[in-house]
Amino acid sequence: MNVYLLQLINGIGTGMLYFVLAVGLSIIFGLLRFVNFAHGAFFLLGAYGCYQLAQLGLNFWWTLLLGPLIVGCLAMLAETYLFRKVYKLPHEMHILITVGIAMVLQEVVITQWGPLGHNVSPPEALQGVVIWGDFVYPKYRVFVIGVGAMMALIIAAVLEGTRLGAIVRAGSESTEMVSLLGLNIKRIFSLVFAFGAATAALAGVLAAPIRGVDPFMGVEALSVAFVVVVVGGMGSFAGALVGGLLVGIVQSMMSTIWPPGANLMIYVAMATVLLLRPNGILGRA
Amino acid sequence: MTNRRDFLKLTAAAGLTATPLFSAAQTEDLVFACPTAMSGNFSAIGKFSEIGVRYAIEQQGTLLGKKLRYRMIDTEAKPATAVRRVQEAMQQHNIKFFPGALLSAESLAMSKEIDRAGGVFLTNAGADEITGIECNRSTFRWAVPTYGIIQGSVRPAADLLPKAKRWYTITPQYVFGDDLLKNAKNLFKEKGIEHVGNSYHSLTEKEFSGHLTNAIATKADVLLLLNYGAQASDTLRQAVSFGMKRNMTIVVAVASGLEQFESLGADICEDIYFGAVYWHTIDTNLNKKLVSDVREKYKITPNYSLAAPFICTRLLMDGIIKANSLEPAAVIASLEGMKFEGLTGMEEVRKEDHQVLRDFYLLKGKAKAKMRDKDDYAEILNAGRSFLSAAEAGCKMA
Repeated sequence: MNVYLLQLINGIGTGMLYFVLAVGLSIIFGLLRFVNFAHGAFFLLGAYGCYQLAQLGLNFWWTLLLGPLIVGCLAMLAETYLFRKVYKLPHEMHILITVGIAMVLQEVVITQWGPLGHNVSPPEALQGVVIWGDFVYPKYRVFVIGVGAMMALIIAAVLEGTRLGAIVRAGSESTEMVSLLGLNIKRIFSLVFAFGAATAALAGVLAAPIRGVDPFMGVEALSVAFVVVVVGGMGSFAGALVGGLLVGIVQSMMSTIWPPGANLMIYVAMATVLLLRPNGILGRA
Repeated sequence: MTNRRDFLKLTAAAGLTATPLFSAAQTEDLVFACPTAMSGNFSAIGKFSEIGVRYAIEQQGTLLGKKLRYRMIDTEAKPATAVRRVQEAMQQHNIKFFPGALLSAESLAMSKEIDRAGGVFLTNAGADEITGIECNRSTFRWAVPTYGIIQGSVRPAADLLPKAKRWYTITPQYVFGDDLLKNAKNLFKEKGIEHVGNSYHSLTEKEFSGHLTNAIATKADVLLLLNYGAQASDTLRQAVSFGMKRNMTIVVAVASGLEQFESLGADICEDIYFGAVYWHTIDTNLNKKLVSDVREKYKITPNYSLAAPFICTRLLMDGIIKANSLEPAAVIASLEGMKFEGLTGMEEVRKEDHQVLRDFYLLKGKAKAKMRDKDDYAEILNAGRSFLSAAEAGCKMA
């Protein structure tokens, strides 16, 4: 099989993980206009949650459920008692506070689990590879593609086909209008924030068997998430999907075309999109 | 509740108490300073280094009638910070002896500064320049340069795999990676090995699946990883998940130590070849004592980040004892050409470039079922030493 076709498929796999990582960040910004630099820390907590629950003897499938749930609950508390108080402040303050929270969480992880990385094994059923002619691909990554696709379908169905989705979409246009309609916008904000954090945690759980866990993985994830959101368009769910896939495919393709620039090119892609479409591919002015 | 005034009082009191403590150390004690990363991404290095230095210092106790003390200097893995803090240590606290640094970029920067200010620096950095074109009178190195790493890992691995004639490399694009690749290519040529491809990657890379896809497409016999530390772990973990153990042999040119095996786990490390500067089962008297003492006292098994600062501190103390002086020039002169029982056996400080001549190891990962204890991840397959001459390495000592 042509190496570029192999890289395309691999890029879709990587891109799907990036989508799961970034979609929460995009939705939080879209509705709350809140710049959440703690998003990478939620990814970190999800990954370490997976590691810790596995150490306690729980199988991977439970960690996949419990990790995002626990982090989502923590995020809801943080939103209720801290972030809610700063929504009206300038974005610089959002950054300051969420960076602080991210640093604290990172140090907590170092204190609790040490500065060294740890390995997390994929579940037994997903160990090994699928072989398709010359193409060899880890079963676990195929599973990640499946989870990403399922997430995209569920989020699309909720946003487009339910009352809650309609409120979220309306809220992203005008929160004042939604409030005037008598809806409890604070509760909606809390739910959306918790959902955004839970998707980051889900990405962390999914990433743990691929790259292991270490205390600094949140910072790396945050930069990729921002690139995806900026490329796709801030606040756009579909943008996160397109951005994630584009970034994953660019990174993978460049591994063959110009390997040293594979990482750099995702930022070049971001700069190019910003030049051509300042609001991102699917972002609105 | 503490108010602002109380807080200021407490802070002032703490400051007053701390200052005389260090002044006392200046006049009565002999202080070694270990400049290494204690915070940030490389903080694990600092944690183990501190134990290595502490063990060496406590074991010795006093030197030339002075009580031995040590302090850790947090370089934050930043060359500029490292240089600034070393300057402070030399100018404000009159510290002259600096054992135990590990990272290349900051070691190169500190090496120049310590030489300019007339101190003594013992490092374990991998960059060839340390005892090559940037060598200087004040700097000594216990770790092995890239030529020795490739000769100690790739050569014996190639000998063990005579049918493996197609090798693919993955290389970090910076000086250390480039030097490893250059030496590997020279060896491939000598051995009649076909170098079927190389993937360079940046130092910020975490996702290696694209590079591994390239390697799979070449149908190479061997995947040689020339990256180090967390990047080597990420590449190896992903290579194993891509099923590359099935039809390729994987060789890691230089492992970062026991902590790397711990973070990867036995299942991933099984049947992988690793080059190693240090391994805790090296069969020498000094290493056996180090392992036994550290296990008893600190309940851990020494890794490279612990053993290397230990031996640098030990070597520095031996130099001072031999010189019977605390003058850096006398200590440097006594270290030059010194032969000593080191962690790897009889070791020697080469006078011409201050490189310590010692063994380098090739390990092979064991199956989990064959591990005799929780740290028995690998067996030593080969030990040997290969060094370019000082002239070939480019060292012109001033």
